[in-house]
Amino acid sequence: MSGPEWLARRLAGAAFVWLLVSFLAFSLGSLAPGDPAHIMLLRRTGDQPSEVEVQQLRHQLGLDRPFVMRYAGWLSAATRGDFGESYRTGQPVFSELRARFPATLTLALVALAVGLIIAVPLAVVSAAARDTAFDHGARLVALAGVSMPSYWLAYMLMLLFAVQLGLLPVSGAGGVRHLVLPALTLGLGSAASVTRMLRATLLDELGEDYVRTARAKGLSGLLVLTRHVLRNALNPVVTVSGLRFGRLLGEAVIVETVFAWPGIGRWMVESIYDRDYPAIQGFVLYIATVFVVLNVAVDLSYRVLDPRVRLASPVPSRR
Amino acid sequence: MRLVLLPLLLELALTGCGGPRGDDAADRHTLVVAFGADEFPLTTNRERLGRYPLNAGICEPLVKLTRDFMVAPALAVRWERHEPGAVRFILQRGVTFSNGAPVDAHAVALTLARVARSRIDFSFLADSSVSVVDDTTLDVRPARMNRRLVDQLVHQVYDILAPGSDPARQPVCTGPFRLVDYVAHSHLTVVRNERYRGERARLDTLVFRFIPDETTRTLALRSGEVDVIFDVGRANASALERAPNLRVVTAPPGAVMVMYMNLNGAAPYKQLRDSSVRRAVATAIDRNTLVQRVLGGGSAALVATVNPPSVLGAYSSLVQGVPYDPLAATRALQGRRRSLTLIANPSSIDRATVEYVQAQLAQVGIDVAVERLDAAAYESRLNSGAFDLDLELPSQNDANPAFLLALRWYSRSSTRSVAFTHASPRFDALVERALAATTDDDARRAAAEAMHQLVDVEVGAVPLAGVSRIYAMNGRVRGFVPHPSRLNQDWNTVWVAR
Repeated sequence: MSGPEWLARRLAGAAFVWLLVSFLAFSLGSLAPGDPAHIMLLRRTGDQPSEVEVQQLRHQLGLDRPFVMRYAGWLSAATRGDFGESYRTGQPVFSELRARFPATLTLALVALAVGLIIAVPLAVVSAAARDTAFDHGARLVALAGVSMPSYWLAYMLMLLFAVQLGLLPVSGAGGVRHLVLPALTLGLGSAASVTRMLRATLLDELGEDYVRTARAKGLSGLLVLTRHVLRNALNPVVTVSGLRFGRLLGEAVIVETVFAWPGIGRWMVESIYDRDYPAIQGFVLYIATVFVVLNVAVDLSYRVLDPRVRLASPVPSRR
Repeated sequence: MRLVLLPLLLELALTGCGGPRGDDAADRHTLVVAFGADEFPLTTNRERLGRYPLNAGICEPLVKLTRDFMVAPALAVRWERHEPGAVRFILQRGVTFSNGAPVDAHAVALTLARVARSRIDFSFLADSSVSVVDDTTLDVRPARMNRRLVDQLVHQVYDILAPGSDPARQPVCTGPFRLVDYVAHSHLTVVRNERYRGERARLDTLVFRFIPDETTRTLALRSGEVDVIFDVGRANASALERAPNLRVVTAPPGAVMVMYMNLNGAAPYKQLRDSSVRRAVATAIDRNTLVQRVLGGGSAALVATVNPPSVLGAYSSLVQGVPYDPLAATRALQGRRRSLTLIANPSSIDRATVEYVQAQLAQVGIDVAVERLDAAAYESRLNSGAFDLDLELPSQNDANPAFLLALRWYSRSSTRSVAFTHASPRFDALVERALAATTDDDARRAAAEAMHQLVDVEVGAVPLAGVSRIYAMNGRVRGFVPHPSRLNQDWNTVWVAR
């Protein structure tokens, strides 16, 4: 399959997934109990609205139109960045998302970087020193990292770095110092899973013929590991990092709440509690868009990183 | 939250090997207070920046609420009933807003008219309710007879704003502080208002930081990042009391945990129409153990009334409450097991209380199905009458002794759920008498009689415990006098010792 053909199919698949998510997100709001017009008026005034007021607003919002027309209208508006108005705040959902998403994105990106900076050297050394005390220790730490709830880790980091050592602030935003603890909380969990996966992949690769050949040629163990084996083991890391990034956006919900970080996480939690359907729909579609774009980017990166993918198969594979 | 204990205990253990802490060198004319989540951006609070649900001391109403729920002068030095249905207020002379503009009757009239238009008032004010007599005199005449008007005007809804001031972005008022900075979900900063009419605030700057998570607030206090924290949980409070250099302050009870009953429900929620079942429910709960063991004692008190007893003054003794008597409860059920559905306000009632009530009722033969609901689902269930029992923690934020009675059990209340909770015509008549009383004493007596009718005679509600707010602060904070109503907490007497 040619590159453009592959790309077209991949984009079509992504578009289908995006449309499906948009349909589900919209259906969620429509099938949920409660009249949005009634809820909106109630939130605005704190008082029970009259039936006439409710009907007027229903008409104004187009809620008296058939489902399909409402969906088409919503989707059309959503593609222009109009997700409607939040019941809770009365503000456009898109502007709320746009105001908060950069903080969440920054947190997730830094956490991903922290995770990789910790995971890659740890996995390489662990694989190179297989079954040594260091390897066992690293695996134990990785297992603990995967098992540890992020809120617990967050409190422990606060206790150590803010309360005991007085080095970092407990919460809030406003500079690099405020970013360290939330990014570390998210990043350590991410590092643990990447370490486990990369170590296993490296060990697989170390058993391959080309490694034996390289060693037979007299290359040092370190050179073989870093120049040949690590390169071949990076594809799964890219996959996991892409997926992990999506998970980081989700895990940020808890971490942002604990650290009072001004991202979309806490906003989303409150919207769910309050059944703020326009906000929930907007969030789902926004995040779905990020996921779909990320997945396409990850698939594309295979073809850039590994020539065998370009030459051999429409389905990305490691070998 | 039970999880708060683990990090705190660990921290206590680590204290011995601690490093440097706090910012001792910080400007001690600044006080940093950690509040919960920022609710100012919500639609209902949009025009109440710095006033509700967090009162930063920027604004003042005509009259203020004392710690014993009485009305005291604020911008108005005195008031009198002028003619049927109207109250005449005389304003203090020479008072200015923080921008230098004079406070006069026209400014007050503009504010009250705005409140009337916003539909957030509960005193039946209309656009035409205020007549200006002269610069310092005005008459307020609600659209409907409302003799509790003065009691209600202590609420922050009725804070007086300078003409042209934007209550959503930059409220300009007469309080001891003025707003200088607000970043949604981050912080709100006020500085001393040098034009304040009374004794000026001792602090230069007061910063409220929004930290939604209770454990994080606690750790921020321990790290020295903040000086005071709001809404300390009961479990957390006892751990903080043991910490060096910290102080826990408990306010007088400002709220009562109440178990509402569905008195007028349709099947399957109609069992509490039967007064013997209601009495069985009320006598089955050992409220003393609830207060001492479940709610921790220090921040809870045994009460018989549905609002803080001090609101009723000496008349609170007219309400006895139903005594704990499990044998009587069993007898009242005549050996027949009952199944009831309980809902609880998720923002104010904790799981331990719900489980305690459930266990107590099970002992006398009442199986309680507890439905854990989010805020929207809870509201929906309450308004549709899909419950037998409902646990809530309403606060008293004004001086009207009949406030809660009129809101939740009076058949003419505008509250939707009252269709299911309204009591008898006799109760209605007593509430109307309290609302129409011309003196505070009469109002308190009538409200107490209405409460006696509700709690002791009809058993239409069970007051479970008086509940106080808990604050924690570092040992250098001085002059903090907790008010039972959080909305009326003063900050101008507070300072930080060097």
